Amino acid sequence: MSTVPKETIEVIAQSIGITNLSPDVAFALAPDLEYRIREIMQESIKCMRHSKRTILTADDVDSALALRNLEPIYGFTSNDPLRFKRAAGHKDLFYIDDKDVEFKDLIEAPLPKAPLDTSITSHWLAIEGVQPAIPENAPVEAPTEIRKSSEYKEDGIPVDIKLPVKHVITKELQLYFDKITELVLNKPASIPFRRALISLATDMGLHPLVPYFSRFVADEVAQNLHNLTLLFALMRLVRSILQNPHIHIELYLHQLMPPIITCVVAKRIGNRLSDNHWELRNFSVNLVASICKRFGNVYHNLQPRVTKTFLHAFLDPTKALPQHYGAIKGIAALGSRLVRLFILPNLEPYLLLLEPEMQPEKQRNETKRQEAWQVYGALLCAVGQCMHERAKIFSNLLSPPTRASSRPNGKAMIAMSSKRKASTENLMQQQQPPLKKLATDGPGGVVPMNSMSVDMQMQGSAGAFSTMMGVPNVGVSSMARQISNDNTMGREVGGQQSKVSSILAQAWKDDIDAGQLLSSVYELFGESLLSFIPKAEAGVFL
Amino acid sequence: MEEDEIAGYVTAYLKKKGFTQTEKIFQEEFQTNKTNSSPLEPDIAKHILSFSQLESGPARFHDGYSRLRSWTHCSLDLYKHELLRVLYPVFIHCFMDLVAKGHVQEARHFFNTFREDHEMMHLRDLQKLEGVLSPTHLEEMEFAHSLRQSKFNIKICEYSYELLLQHLHSTQSTTILGIINEHINFQVTPGQPSSIVDDPEAVTLSGSSQDAANQINQKEIHWGLLEDSLEERLEKASSLLSDSEKGEGEAKEGETEENKKRPVEGGKQGASIKKVKKDKGGSATGKNTKAEVNTVSAAPRVKPELPMPIIPSEVEQSILEDLRNRVQLSSVALPSVSFYTFLNTHNGLSCSSISHDGSLVAGGFSDSSLKVWDMAKLGEQTASSLSQDENDTSQNPQMGQSGGGKRQYTLFQGHSGPVYAASFSPVGEFILSSSADSTIRLWSTTYNANLVCYKGHNYPVWDVQFSPVGHYFASSSHDRTARIWSMERIQPLRIMAGHLSDVDCVQWHANCNYIATGSSDKTVRLWDVQSGECVRVFVGHRSMILSLAMSPDGRYMASGDEDGTIMMWDLSSGRCLTPLIGHTSCVWSLAFSCEGSVLASGSADCSVKLWDVNTSTKVSRAEEKSGNASRLRSLKTLPTKSTPVYALRFSRRNLLFAGGALAKNG
Repeated sequence: MSTVPKETIEVIAQSIGITNLSPDVAFALAPDLEYRIREIMQESIKCMRHSKRTILTADDVDSALALRNLEPIYGFTSNDPLRFKRAAGHKDLFYIDDKDVEFKDLIEAPLPKAPLDTSITSHWLAIEGVQPAIPENAPVEAPTEIRKSSEYKEDGIPVDIKLPVKHVITKELQLYFDKITELVLNKPASIPFRRALISLATDMGLHPLVPYFSRFVADEVAQNLHNLTLLFALMRLVRSILQNPHIHIELYLHQLMPPIITCVVAKRIGNRLSDNHWELRNFSVNLVASICKRFGNVYHNLQPRVTKTFLHAFLDPTKALPQHYGAIKGIAALGSRLVRLFILPNLEPYLLLLEPEMQPEKQRNETKRQEAWQVYGALLCAVGQCMHERAKIFSNLLSPPTRASSRPNGKAMIAMSSKRKASTENLMQQQQPPLKKLATDGPGGVVPMNSMSVDMQMQGSAGAFSTMMGVPNVGVSSMARQISNDNTMGREVGGQQSKVSSILAQAWKDDIDAGQLLSSVYELFGESLLSFIPKAEAGVFL
Repeated sequence: MEEDEIAGYVTAYLKKKGFTQTEKIFQEEFQTNKTNSSPLEPDIAKHILSFSQLESGPARFHDGYSRLRSWTHCSLDLYKHELLRVLYPVFIHCFMDLVAKGHVQEARHFFNTFREDHEMMHLRDLQKLEGVLSPTHLEEMEFAHSLRQSKFNIKICEYSYELLLQHLHSTQSTTILGIINEHINFQVTPGQPSSIVDDPEAVTLSGSSQDAANQINQKEIHWGLLEDSLEERLEKASSLLSDSEKGEGEAKEGETEENKKRPVEGGKQGASIKKVKKDKGGSATGKNTKAEVNTVSAAPRVKPELPMPIIPSEVEQSILEDLRNRVQLSSVALPSVSFYTFLNTHNGLSCSSISHDGSLVAGGFSDSSLKVWDMAKLGEQTASSLSQDENDTSQNPQMGQSGGGKRQYTLFQGHSGPVYAASFSPVGEFILSSSADSTIRLWSTTYNANLVCYKGHNYPVWDVQFSPVGHYFASSSHDRTARIWSMERIQPLRIMAGHLSDVDCVQWHANCNYIATGSSDKTVRLWDVQSGECVRVFVGHRSMILSLAMSPDGRYMASGDEDGTIMMWDLSSGRCLTPLIGHTSCVWSLAFSCEGSVLASGSADCSVKLWDVNTSTKVSRAEEKSGNASRLRSLKTLPTKSTPVYALRFSRRNLLFAGGALAKNG
């Protein structure tokens, strides 16, 4: 009944020397004990409140006891929290772990430091209702303020720093900006810079500085393409800003993207041969990919524009090899779909172009050769990853290398397509546009209509894919197709070669048979591709 | 109802009570009357029946309550929320009945079975009641006692009432019916049930003298401002100033004349307060005619009921200067807030106070010391720049040489218990402190010494406040009284008794004729200083009241409680205008801006919130008729860096000062 069990009463009685306590007495005392404890607690809570605290201390209990004219409990101080230990073997029995203290130790111990004396500091919590961003204030910006600053941004971004800026940046933020830029320019490898990056990635209230930072990055990248370390520092700065959850970076993306893409596909980065610009390109590619992933669904033309830039670099044979490398890496980072769409169709001609550069007898320049191998590696990586994904998707419906063999058995195909339904649901969902329109729209594939259901589905997904890419993309993809068609036409040497190129030219279609694709890619790359394909699938194909 | 059955019950009753004679007679009469049976009144029959059931033990309560509960939950949606209100009083009275009858075990079981239903609304009450385990506890505990002695008022619409009665009669749950009859006072309103929004007045607990509170609130109060206040004089002066420059000179002369007059009166004042009060009243009316010429603010003017202390003319000048330079605050023009952070307090700071000009900051500590910092002298740039706006008002010339030379503050020692409150006099030359040692001490900031020790309370003094004009002060204590003192007497002038629990905070009305007290019994009371009578009881808070503030126009009062709720009250009607909800922890401090447009609240949740008083009062008044009275407007939340806000003060120029001790971690 009472939360105080009568055993407690018995234990207490024993501890004060009453051994023959009758159970009735214990039974009667238990509820009263609980009531008294509650009463004391009620008073101690009052004392706690009047000491303006929200945590109850031993002092409060003592004052409450004093209020009731009871003797305080000695031996407890508020300073250190009491450590209760559970008595072994008893579930509800606790005791305080009091250590024995040697007198000698106590006497010989040096005097503890005197606690600091109480003092007062003053600061502005708010000036006319607005909290200044000073260290004394909590680092929480009022939401209204952020809104205000973003509203301002929509009005007009300070494109040029020299232009008179409408909003005034607080002195603290100015100092912060100066400090960060100084670190970037002078000590990009130092520990303070690393801390600054963390601060950029986590601190609130940096929003007003974003236009300045993006401007700073753009300027510095444009002027310092030869300075690899600086470029790296700038990219890391960009990454930190991107990471900050309190900054709405999307409004500045148009300003930030060019410098990042420059770092991917620039002709020449760094002024020494030993500079590892590949790493910077990889780093920036990751930035681009993360941006596209995060904002791609909000800004529909973001990814197409980025892709277009990369594609231009990739398809222009006059561009330097590092530029090709960046472009390939960039496309690969944006997803295997784009690799199939843009790289695979052009793979064969490109390799023909690349091959002479890689062979020591044809390309004498050691550096050039190395570059070519790097590009080859990137290409292999991109294609391999793409194939790996295809293999994963289609692993449950591996089809034999030729389509013809499966055609007679229409029923089997239908069954297969229903299987596919389960595995690639996302593809199926795109099947909605009407068949007719797609039949005319789908420029690549006029497939014999003998296995209706499968073809319809294939058409649908292919068509839906291109519509999904958005209007600006259509131009790009059709261009790419045209290029690839040109290439294949010019390259119709016959036999196996032409078959490979025609299969690759179809690679942009979603429904291209993974087995066929893989085998043709395998012919181009050889054994080195196998590392990307799961063992089981590889066994089936080869 | 069979007659025989009733007869059976009646005989059983008589037997049980040992009325053997009566029983025999009853039997005889019953036999004779059987032929010409006059049917008993059905009601009586039921009562008799119920008696026999009552005896059937504690299970009756449990069953009765659970039946009522399930019925309520299945009732019509439209009336459900009204019927649900009935459950809580029935619940606690069932519990207390069980305890009173000695069925402790059953009581505990009953309590634990149903407590969840009420935890959201009445958690604190339940925690208190939980410990009640024997009939003696019921007697001893003031809360249970007041519950037993008082009735719940429940507003309910006609149909709900009918439904309830029908249910109780049809199920013959007479136990519950008895409880409802005994402890609930239904205020049946015709028409539709009230809106579902929890109207704070729908269920109210009235004190043991249930009508007393209502009666008290019928009394008239004069909430108007003091006539001939400095503000008024300022307006007078400025209006004259606009007339001509010469006018200003005259106004000043007029003031100095008044000042000359006053000391003469002051000399008489010492003798008997009541007597002088009349004199003063007379002279005040004389001046009043002058004041009425001006079109002053809308607040009505009242005469001071206390003899007013004299303000030295140079102080008056500086105050007038401040008033001229006052910043107008409104919902669009928010105040600047200067925050004083106490460092290294080692959890010992139990109160803090800021002088009217913000230049002095006092902290009361649990080690019995009172420390006063002169912010103007701290030598920091921030402080000095602050003081330039504000400090020209501070008329305390010397803060004295602080003891060790190194110490930044003046240490006042004398108390022998934690210092729970400190209050600066309006000009800043005196500080009052109250302590757990049940004394109040008056200190001089000029001489850095203890001047007087006021003994009167028997228990810790929770709060002490100087009156707006100085000289008088009010204190509140654990002994459930509030007392009025004047500086020159060591005995209190008035003792206000009436609260049912500790008086936790006290605040003066702007016109010095009233004080408000907030208590652990969850009510706020307003007392007439002259008569010592309670003139208003404000019921509505759900937990202990920690802070009070009076609007400068004297019309409104704000009170903050332990849960973080702030309530705005209309003094004349005694009703809550609107609850201001936003804080998540104890509201330690409240302050109105000087023109009353902004309310600032400081809380243990480490924030200062600014509230728009004008909308929260006006809108709710407009909506009062539509029945929806919970409209408020929070203007701004200013979070501090893990510093609970202990004290707030608007300076006369409307700069807000806030103070608090930095918490160790968080």
